[in-house]
Amino acid sequence: MLTAKLREALICFKAGRVTLPYPFAPHDPAPGFRGKITLDPDRCFGCGGCANVCPAGVIQVRDAGQLLRVLEFQWRRCTYCGRCEEVCPEQAITMSQQFETATDRGDDMVMRLEVFMGPCQRCGRCYVPPTPLDRMDRTGFRTGSGGRS
Amino acid sequence: MASVLGVAAQVNEAVARKIGAGLRAASQGPPDTLRLVVAPEELRSATEELLRLRARFLITVGIDARPLSADYRVLYLFSLDGEHLFVVLECAVSPDDPHVDSIAALVPGANWAERECRDAVGVTPDGHPDPRRLLLADDWPEGLFPLRRDFPYDYRPPAAEGVAPVPKQPPEGASVLPIGPFFPVLEEPSYWRLFVEGETVVGCDYRGFYNHRGIEKLGESTLTYNEIPYLAERICGICGFIHSTAYCQAVEKAAGIEVPRRARYIRSIMLELERVHSHLLWLGIAGHILGFDTVLMQTWRMREPVMWLAEEISGNRKTYGMNTIGGLRRDLPATVVAKVLKVVDEVERESVAVRDAIVGDTTLLARTKNVGVLTGDWARQVCVVGPPARGSGVPIDARLDHPYAAYDEVPPRLCTQQAGDTWARVLVRVEELLDSIRQVREGLARLPAGEVLAEVKDEIPRDRIGISVVEAPRGEAVHFVMTGGDNRPYRWRVRAPTYPNLQAMPAMIDHAAIADVPITLGSLDPCFSCTERVEAIDVSTHSRRVYSRQELLAMSRELTLRGGRR
Ligand code: SF4
Ligand code: SF4
Repeated sequence: MLTAKLREALICFKAGRVTLPYPFAPHDPAPGFRGKITLDPDRCFGCGGCANVCPAGVIQVRDAGQLLRVLEFQWRRCTYCGRCEEVCPEQAITMSQQFETATDRGDDMVMRLEVFMGPCQRCGRCYVPPTPLDRMDRTGFRTGSGGRS
Repeated sequence: MASVLGVAAQVNEAVARKIGAGLRAASQGPPDTLRLVVAPEELRSATEELLRLRARFLITVGIDARPLSADYRVLYLFSLDGEHLFVVLECAVSPDDPHVDSIAALVPGANWAERECRDAVGVTPDGHPDPRRLLLADDWPEGLFPLRRDFPYDYRPPAAEGVAPVPKQPPEGASVLPIGPFFPVLEEPSYWRLFVEGETVVGCDYRGFYNHRGIEKLGESTLTYNEIPYLAERICGICGFIHSTAYCQAVEKAAGIEVPRRARYIRSIMLELERVHSHLLWLGIAGHILGFDTVLMQTWRMREPVMWLAEEISGNRKTYGMNTIGGLRRDLPATVVAKVLKVVDEVERESVAVRDAIVGDTTLLARTKNVGVLTGDWARQVCVVGPPARGSGVPIDARLDHPYAAYDEVPPRLCTQQAGDTWARVLVRVEELLDSIRQVREGLARLPAGEVLAEVKDEIPRDRIGISVVEAPRGEAVHFVMTGGDNRPYRWRVRAPTYPNLQAMPAMIDHAAIADVPITLGSLDPCFSCTERVEAIDVSTHSRRVYSRQELLAMSRELTLRGGRR
């Protein structure tokens, strides 16, 4: 019994101080950590691939007329899975290292991107195949038709 | 593989001999799954035959197949562990009169599964010993079955007033001690009514599922095959990777997708790392329940580097997001291997030190030996899985019985104990922790080169089934998938290990002291959340006393201070 207690005491003694001084000293996540998504508006060409694969329904795509496509990221719902980053053909989305995302304002968690689209004068579509869009045809990149609108 | 097919043929024959024309069809989906369609009136006989062949019941799956074949289907999943075979008994039930014979008298472990099937799909088990609600909330309207296909996933029924769970009557002369709806030990809602005589528990009643989230429904109605892994991962707050692995494996099996060898190794390694941190976490919590916070502080300190490692490998400390259908999204970088080895070396050294310290601790022994005894026989009957089963001498381990990932090449050691008490479960977990470390090392040493993701180009075919079991730290998790159109499963069924294990609780606390209830429940490592109030109602006087979490914890701890003397 006594030896058991001494052993336990030794384990504690050896451990020393463990608690990190965070937030007074920074504690950076490991490289490759999936933090808050960042968006490069210049790269996005509005294909909607990210919205197609997002498991949490963070990304909504709306077309305001023929020329304007609006992408809205309600990233309070984000699961930080990184699927949007993975499928984006233009690397417009990247998972940053940022994890300190607490806020008391809901608006802070909405990103809105307006993409100016140049549709083909004849068919009204933006691109003709083959385009990066074809990648979305693969199983798992497609969305189902029922359910969420 | 040939032997599995041989066994399947034998099982098929045995069932055919027993029920004759009652066996309507037999097929082999994936090679390890025998699917027998039986007439509903022959279900019990077929079950008897499977039990004679030493099959272990896993779970029931209710499927609303009206859009496909104008009936409901109820599937009873069994496992022939030694033969590495799953057997499915399938009954087609007419939608006009959805009833099926209960098998709960033959298999006590089917009790909850049948009630759940009734609540969710509306197929009533006839002759069920305890047909009360299980899954649905008490104010859920009658006649609404959420897993029917025509039930919208986002439907909200109107709130009802003045409803309460239907309580079980306590035995004559016993008082009732309600604990919950938030249980004071672990962070999850669960409502127990202990029937007590003085300090001794003479029975109990359970009401749970307060945290039911409708995950299966979401998977079947709004998500797609490749979105579900991220939801599956969030089923458990500690061991999420087991669920995404089990789900992906079930779909891969159903669709016949071959996962690259390297991906299978990495899955194994991540699963074992998960077991390492989960068992350390459990050890800490067990110590905390007993008032032995040194263990809590130290094991959680030891655990932290494993979490950081997971973050470095996967991008997140807990929701790894690595699994996808066909393999993995992230490879294990060569640079991280040395770090993994360093961390597991350290964890091993420290775990051995902790083990050597606690085995001599007589107070700890007094609080755990002969406490919460689960006999091997009852463990089998209630179909208990994982460390609680192995601690009671039941030699099952999904990694050996149905090898997946890389367990065929790097198998675990089967860790069993015979005593069936809380101490036996401690020993099993400590041994497994050390064995997991060995497996991580071996897996890394043998890690093959190559791709980690098989590209899935073709549509996943419809109407196929896949069953996948994964040995989670808490025991075997079962995922069943029936594929559908629309790029999503037609039915996705999840059975977490706590589901069967909790059903063993009544027997484990029978004639126990109230102060031993927390550690007994804790020793199952149940996955459900925590606590603020406990209230005691004395039935004879209807007086009511509210125990706080602190008080209940204090009762447990006071017993420790008395050195376990009762
Ligand atoms: S990280 Fe995942 S959940 Fe978040 S926006 Fe991207 S796809 Fe959606
Ligand atoms: S996938 Fe990339 S390019 Fe396409 S809409 Fe999303 S952010 Fe823009």
